[in-house]
Amino acid sequence: MKGIRLIYRKEDIVGSQRTRSRSAPVVLGLVVVAALAGSFFVSLGVDDASASLAADEQVMRGRTLVIHHACGDCHGGGSNPNADGWLVGARDTSQEFKIGPFRTRPRNLTPDNMTGLGRFSERQIFNALRYGLRPGETPDVDITSTTPGQGNFPAHPKYLAVPMPWPAFRHMSDQDLRDVAAYLKRGVKPVSNRVADSEGPPDFWASAYTVDKIGPYPAAAFPAARERTAP
Amino acid sequence: MSINRRATTLRRGLVLVGLTAMWAMPALSQRRVEVTLTAAPTRLSLAPGAPTEMFAYNGQFPGPTLEFREGDRVTVHFRNKLPEPTTIHWHGLHLPFTSDGSPFHPVAPGETYDYVFTIRPGTAGTYWYHPHPHHRTGYQIAKGLYGAVIVRAADDPLRGLPEKLIVISDNRFAADNSIDLPASLSTAGIVDRENGREGDIVFVNGTVMPTISIRAGEMQRWRVINASAARVYRLSLPGHTLLHVGSDGGLFEHPVEVDEILVANAERVELLIRGTGAPGDRVPLQALPYDRYVPQTRPQTWNRTRDLLTLQYTKRRPISAAPLPAVLRPVPALDTTQSTATRLMVLTQGMINGQMMDHSRVDVAAKLGATEIWEIENLVGMDHPFHLHGFQFQVLDRNGVPERFRAWKDVVNVPKHGSARFIVRYANFPGKWMFHCHILDHEDHGMMGILEVIEERNADARSATRSP
Repeated sequence: MKGIRLIYRKEDIVGSQRTRSRSAPVVLGLVVVAALAGSFFVSLGVDDASASLAADEQVMRGRTLVIHHACGDCHGGGSNPNADGWLVGARDTSQEFKIGPFRTRPRNLTPDNMTGLGRFSERQIFNALRYGLRPGETPDVDITSTTPGQGNFPAHPKYLAVPMPWPAFRHMSDQDLRDVAAYLKRGVKPVSNRVADSEGPPDFWASAYTVDKIGPYPAAAFPAARERTAP
Repeated sequence: MSINRRATTLRRGLVLVGLTAMWAMPALSQRRVEVTLTAAPTRLSLAPGAPTEMFAYNGQFPGPTLEFREGDRVTVHFRNKLPEPTTIHWHGLHLPFTSDGSPFHPVAPGETYDYVFTIRPGTAGTYWYHPHPHHRTGYQIAKGLYGAVIVRAADDPLRGLPEKLIVISDNRFAADNSIDLPASLSTAGIVDRENGREGDIVFVNGTVMPTISIRAGEMQRWRVINASAARVYRLSLPGHTLLHVGSDGGLFEHPVEVDEILVANAERVELLIRGTGAPGDRVPLQALPYDRYVPQTRPQTWNRTRDLLTLQYTKRRPISAAPLPAVLRPVPALDTTQSTATRLMVLTQGMINGQMMDHSRVDVAAKLGATEIWEIENLVGMDHPFHLHGFQFQVLDRNGVPERFRAWKDVVNVPKHGSARFIVRYANFPGKWMFHCHILDHEDHGMMGILEVIEERNADARSATRSP
């Protein structure tokens, strides 16, 4: 409240009026120039601000999704972006999974260039969450099909290791997945943490991710076999 | 004497002999060398039992060793008698674009092509030649098409040392002794595409477990070429240290003493072997385990040590070797302050910078004479040996660790989840030069790009027509 009062001090307002009255033509000219220049810069500034504000909103939506989808439970930091190790991936063997004969490891999701997602595009992260495709093994393209070899879906898909729950995450909206990608790329500090590669079958889990095992995408129309329309 | 007869002798005896299909001009003038190579289907006995249907240069496996001198004006008359297009790529040699044998200049079945180039001064070293048609390089090399090139300098500081050529390759055979090339959709095909095709039989100069003899106390110069599609060799000679004296582009300044040395695909090393054993000793040259694989397709036998050849000490009394010169060959440093661009190459499985090979695309455009730094980042949990055509480069660092010594290279192995930087000068020869992963299955899959080197007077016009 004190600050607001200071800004609107009556003396300041009076003083500026006095200044203008003293050398009106020059000051008017300056005001015109300033106004023109100002309007130009201000309009740019507004555009920039709204763009970055929108981006920030996207990052903030992504942050919320990352927190409430429990990404940090496996990838580090739990539900707390303040936590040491937030999304940096496995740092010791206690964070590994034993899937049959294989060991799989949560990867570094921070945007570090060499050990994290830094060199992957937001589209590649989107494709990982929507289609389960490993970003390092999948071209950076828009994918329009889930049939291997069609619509840019790789003929020999290589999937993220089990138990990454992408078969559930893929049902999130396009916007949600883009927001998550935006947060991971732009809202998290890069941390270098090299995670050993996950093990898996030679088909890169293709046999684990068949429609009969993970269901169709998009999900079956409501009401499906185990659903009802009214109590 | 025909080139065939001489080179067959060479293959048997592991001893280098001079190229035969050549004729020398009078002394002091540029020597003109003419070679005739024909690629054709042939049938050779490689494994016990039935012969194997192969492709071969001049009917030999490996192809004849070609030996040139710095300054030679070389013409290779090539005839393609294969049922498919092919090329001959002169791996590591600095030569005109039209003689590079890249996918831009395929030679159709039944056609001929003359590769014409001058062996440039200062390029003495160990090179090799192999086909490079798009999508079929791995297949044609697996069928038997490759050979060694040795370039000699008049002032070779190691002149006089006994030399051994060691061309290492591997292959895999089906029950009927045909070369095992699985369908791409089979599990074996998937593993081959992922790892690069490996074979359980390792050949040295086309032979399994040959013997090299050495006299106690003797010093030998070994030229080692990894001609395998994907298998890398971590070489060790038990009880001996190795003196590393040369790399892809020839000798470097000072010998480096090592216990073992990694030779990635298409790389060459020159080693000095000191006969520190006793008369009568037998020592295997071994390939120690090296984990270059992703876990999904890592072979169960990856951690097996393999014997490649036997070093047999003669019974003769030991001799003492002559001392080495203080400097083998100076390698002047390319100046990093002269670099006008840094090219980032991000390797993912089967792709460079997220893209697969496209003949009509230029990935890097550079001016002739420019010096540039290339930074290769490997995002995959698998080593990728990165090869640049046309120009020898100097590796600056790997994983941020400065290279221990300066050497001329045309392949740098980029370790899994690691990086490498090199500096290169596009000294001569405008044209389109491939860069690619030298795991042949990856290369054929499209893990390749194009560097176009443009002459200054054309550069501005060309770049103006190219969209940003």
